[in-house]
Amino acid sequence: MRRFLLLLALACAASQWMAGASLRVPDRVQAGQELSIPTSGSGEATLYLFGPSHVAKRTVKLGAPVTLAGDELASAGRYVVVLNGESSAFFVTAGPVSTVAFIARPSRVPASTKDVVSGTVFLFDRNQNLVLSPEPVSFSLAVPGAPDVRSTQTSKGGVAWTRLDSSRRAGAAQFVASAGAASVRRVVQEVASEPCNIRMHAERAKDGAIALQTDPIRDCAGNPVPDGTIVTFTSVDENGRSTVDARIKRGIAQAELPASQQATISVAAGVVIGNEIRWGGKQ
Amino acid sequence: MRARIHVRHLLFGLLAVLIAAAAPLLLSAAETGFAVVLDASQSQPRHVEETTMASVQRDYGHAWHSMAAAMEENKVALLGSDFVGLAKEQLSQAIAEQGKSGLKRRYIDHGHQVRVVFYSPDGSAMELQDTVRLEIQLLDGDKVVHSDQGTFHFLALMTPAENSWKVRLLESVSGF
Repeated sequence: MRRFLLLLALACAASQWMAGASLRVPDRVQAGQELSIPTSGSGEATLYLFGPSHVAKRTVKLGAPVTLAGDELASAGRYVVVLNGESSAFFVTAGPVSTVAFIARPSRVPASTKDVVSGTVFLFDRNQNLVLSPEPVSFSLAVPGAPDVRSTQTSKGGVAWTRLDSSRRAGAAQFVASAGAASVRRVVQEVASEPCNIRMHAERAKDGAIALQTDPIRDCAGNPVPDGTIVTFTSVDENGRSTVDARIKRGIAQAELPASQQATISVAAGVVIGNEIRWGGKQ
Repeated sequence: MRARIHVRHLLFGLLAVLIAAAAPLLLSAAETGFAVVLDASQSQPRHVEETTMASVQRDYGHAWHSMAAAMEENKVALLGSDFVGLAKEQLSQAIAEQGKSGLKRRYIDHGHQVRVVFYSPDGSAMELQDTVRLEIQLLDGDKVVHSDQGTFHFLALMTPAENSWKVRLLESVSGF
């Protein structure tokens, strides 16, 4: 009985050897590259390939190399190849950076503000695999007529991010992220921040009302505060308080307040308060 | 004869009661997904809010559950809405090709240890490193042609949708 079992084991081992399906595959292969797997033995066997996006089953001839085409190995990840009862696993890794997915936030920021613009990039190879190896990524934020704001980061896990200050000058800023040969541009609108000071003057209108008009309203860096920003004019007299909200139009705000013999008129935009006028008395 | 019919009715009745009792348990297991332990202490550059953590934990576990079911049954529909973009494309393609060749993949999941390594400043993307104890069986019909058991590493990219987080990329990597 013992001799029979021994013979059986030897026969099994011999048949396995004759089939000769030993698998030698590299640990890593770059995405999209062809892979040749040498085989030995003779006859035919079934090859299985299980990958992240590709699965195959086909009959191959033993003794000749088995070729896995580049497009079978396009997706990064773990692959298992099984041939005649033997199997090996290997990883397909991303190739060089080919495209950059760039998220720039927000799309509109106040000028001359610290760490207000954020940029995040995801690096992909030509097969849309996330490039996990560390890669230098450069960011630049440029407004015409102002020095560029730049930052270089090294990606980690396919991602790199930065925070940048906005320029002192308002305008359409070109926010560019570059890695390898890929470069992506976004536009961030830099607008004047809060008004620096507001100055108004008053005159009597034809109907007796008080006509108010501001000087051009700018932020502290000299950028004109955007049209549409609300400016509030307030008049306090013996009859009480009158308030008019006006939008900045072509850089200035205008309003008319009801006629009054004597009043105190003030102007404000957001938290910024401008000059005060004593109407009917000294200004 | 009459007694035998009574016994048969009784057995059917008992079976119906058991199925009815087990149904909610089966449903809740399917809804919960696989066990995920989430660590967001090293998240950069943004801190992960508690409610976000809970959502990601729930949705990532659910996504794995869907993927395992879809891969085993070769039904793309079972991926549901847990995967989007590239992840959905890749899994759908793999499932379609498995179906054509009569192959299947079975995941026996023993739990995920997940670290949040990146949460974008605007909260629109999150990268996870998942160390998962897993048994993966590759089948031709019902015959297992290969089986792997051990610890695997996955990198996942998730993005928020209206009321849940979706897996946009899921890649098996050799390590972190």
